[in-house]
Amino acid sequence: MTVPTQPSPAPDLAPSLRGVPLGLSFPLQGGDSQAWGESRARPIDLLARFPVLKRMLKSRAFQPALQWFALAGFTLAVVAGLIGTPAGNRNFGIVFVWIVWWAALMLMIVPFLGRAWCAACPIPAPGEWLQRRGIISRIPRRLRTLHYHWPRWLKNIWLQNAGFVLMALFSAIILTRPNITAWALLGLTALGLALSMMFDNRVFCRYVCPVGGFIGLYATTAPLALRVKDTDICLMHTPKDCVTGNEYGYGCPWMTYPGGLTRNVDCGLCTECLKTCPKDNITLVWRAGGDELPAPREYRLDEAYKAFIMLGSALIYPVVFLGPWGWLKNWASIGSLTGWVLYAAAFLAITLGVLPGVFWLVSAVSAAIARPRLPTIQWFTRYAYALTPLGLAAWVAFSFGFVLVNGSYAISTLSDPLGWGWNLLGTAGVAWTPADPMIISVLQIGVLMIGLVSALNTAYRIARQSHEANWPAIKAALPISVFMVAFVVISLEMYLG
Amino acid sequence: MTMLRREALPIIVTLGIMLGLPAVLLGYETLIRPAVSPNRIVEIHASMPQNGGFGPDVVHVNQGEAVTLRFTADDVTHGIAIGPGLGVDLGQFDPGHAAEVTLTFEQPGRYTYYCNTWCGDDHWRMRGVIDVVDPANPDAIPAPQRDPVIEALIAEGIDIDEIKRRPEHPDANTASADAGSRMIGDVTIPPQIEETAWQRTHTPQQALDMLALLNADVPKASLMNVVAYLWVRDIDPATLAQGRTLYQKNCSGCHGETGGGDGPGADLASFTPIFSMTIDTLPRRGDVLYAKIRRGGMGTGMPNWGTVFTPEETWMLVDYLWTLAFRD
Repeated sequence: MTVPTQPSPAPDLAPSLRGVPLGLSFPLQGGDSQAWGESRARPIDLLARFPVLKRMLKSRAFQPALQWFALAGFTLAVVAGLIGTPAGNRNFGIVFVWIVWWAALMLMIVPFLGRAWCAACPIPAPGEWLQRRGIISRIPRRLRTLHYHWPRWLKNIWLQNAGFVLMALFSAIILTRPNITAWALLGLTALGLALSMMFDNRVFCRYVCPVGGFIGLYATTAPLALRVKDTDICLMHTPKDCVTGNEYGYGCPWMTYPGGLTRNVDCGLCTECLKTCPKDNITLVWRAGGDELPAPREYRLDEAYKAFIMLGSALIYPVVFLGPWGWLKNWASIGSLTGWVLYAAAFLAITLGVLPGVFWLVSAVSAAIARPRLPTIQWFTRYAYALTPLGLAAWVAFSFGFVLVNGSYAISTLSDPLGWGWNLLGTAGVAWTPADPMIISVLQIGVLMIGLVSALNTAYRIARQSHEANWPAIKAALPISVFMVAFVVISLEMYLG
Repeated sequence: MTMLRREALPIIVTLGIMLGLPAVLLGYETLIRPAVSPNRIVEIHASMPQNGGFGPDVVHVNQGEAVTLRFTADDVTHGIAIGPGLGVDLGQFDPGHAAEVTLTFEQPGRYTYYCNTWCGDDHWRMRGVIDVVDPANPDAIPAPQRDPVIEALIAEGIDIDEIKRRPEHPDANTASADAGSRMIGDVTIPPQIEETAWQRTHTPQQALDMLALLNADVPKASLMNVVAYLWVRDIDPATLAQGRTLYQKNCSGCHGETGGGDGPGADLASFTPIFSMTIDTLPRRGDVLYAKIRRGGMGTGMPNWGTVFTPEETWMLVDYLWTLAFRD
């Protein structure tokens, strides 16, 4: 379901906050949205400022180089998972996928670079290379697939939502058992390969990948974005090389029209359009994160639900994985079938029922306060977007909790990736050294606060889309704000209580 | 053609990563590493018995061959020792960690590697075997080791597997070796009772009865203290320390840290004797305890330790057991 809205003037971005992640673009001055728009900071055109970067991105070897690097790690993870030690903390597959990669993804890449990982991800790479019958060169032939059409009713992220929930239900064993991790990676690769044989372009990434779904949502808060410099140039350029491709590159593999890009959700940063654009009208910008959150052309229920699934998971995971309740961990690890069924039922109930249900109630209160009156479903869907920075902050906080505790395993695993008693770099004996719990707590509190401020700001800016005046917007967003504050209080209680 | 040439290198790189990297890893493990190692390396993975136990659980070694045994804990914390008589204890190591030892066996025979850290309900089943063969005569079967202590018990008609339950009317409830040491000069003691050899083939109850005949005016509780003293007096501290270490590593899982029969595995056995109480110790013979340890307790869940401990180590354990009941 989609909820159309009237785009409103973009709110203010304090110049000093340009580049801050987590969608933090807090207005530093009052007044109406038009006034903020006048003082809005201009995004930095990274390619104009760094010509070397431009040359690099225009090279056809750029993306394959990233993919090779990731593919090497992927291959090592799979091999280690299949034939290495079953002890997760000594296996490259667990340590480098679920600690190192996850830390890089959630603490750096997504908050700052958005979907940059999608450009390097090795999972869809074999399928894409087979489609193109080439790795680096622009092969001037039609993609080799069965040319099936992806069903219209699946052109959303509901499949990605379902995939993430499915993986989340089994995450306790996927995250701890190297062989399960290996099979999960191979399974996703096989799925990507199969879809690449059936459908043109990156259908897997756009509509199926369970990781890509949340990366896309949270990429909307990132400072890095690929955008056109001048939309008029795109409108007047009828050949649309960015869509059809030319001798320099392929048409957008993500099936997006770059000229209409206003959000990071559907751009995989593959940089094909940078190569194909004959007008040199596409660039990478560094902007205030979260600029795009309150103003999508349509508010979508599938994306709204993604926000709830991520928020609910971020609430449940710390309890299960970092909490002192062994029986709960045992349930999640399928220690008993009955226990796991209860865990799965609770997980689904909280993420898909309780959390959206409570949010529906606060949305109904907001709807009652708001002028003009809109159906609750519209406010529910709109305000759910304000949960995006909060959800990302909650995931970053959760990630701090286990990455900083378990990160030192990476040092010993580098020397003995398969847990076979090797000592390649002389670091196999490095002892596990968890970070100071106080430092972790401070980081968690800090990031949750940043996420809360950003989420409150986003909710307010969404309210401002329907309220000309300041105070009515604040009143309309108040129930949502209470929900957000309650979430943060519960999270803090979990981490610090 | 140019296109093909341009794609050749990327394809080679891609295949190199997807196929070459695993090949390099396996090649390093199976070819290079053994080649650069001064001796043969045997990788042994240690898992709880319900997860497969040791893999492999049989290792064949030639007499005189130096071999490195590398143990890796795969699931939970394990401790590895090898016996009998090798004095190899690699200590505890956590999942994913490895410990290794290089051994050269000078004689053909059979040795046992085993877990000596409580790792689960079937912990005691976690054993593997090292078969050392003479390369000149690899099919020779080593002659079974004879144990004169056990043979003597059988000849005497002693039922080693008899379960000694608590006496209904014990002569003494507690005994203190310290108290016994203070009154040793005040009682008449038959000389044989003071001999270690006699003590090992008789029960404390028998000694108590003999003392009672000669010292009718002394209370039985006091005489029991004397028996307690005599039973532990000649155990030297080094033996006691070794016995304690062996007990704590291998026995306390079922019998409890202080012999109270309250270890985590006690409930899994049909019968777990108590060694911390004097009344339970009175009817026991040292040589029968020795035999039970080496053969295992039939029908009780007590594993055999004869393949793990030397006879000397077994006697150290028996000596330590007496101190559990008789030392304050």
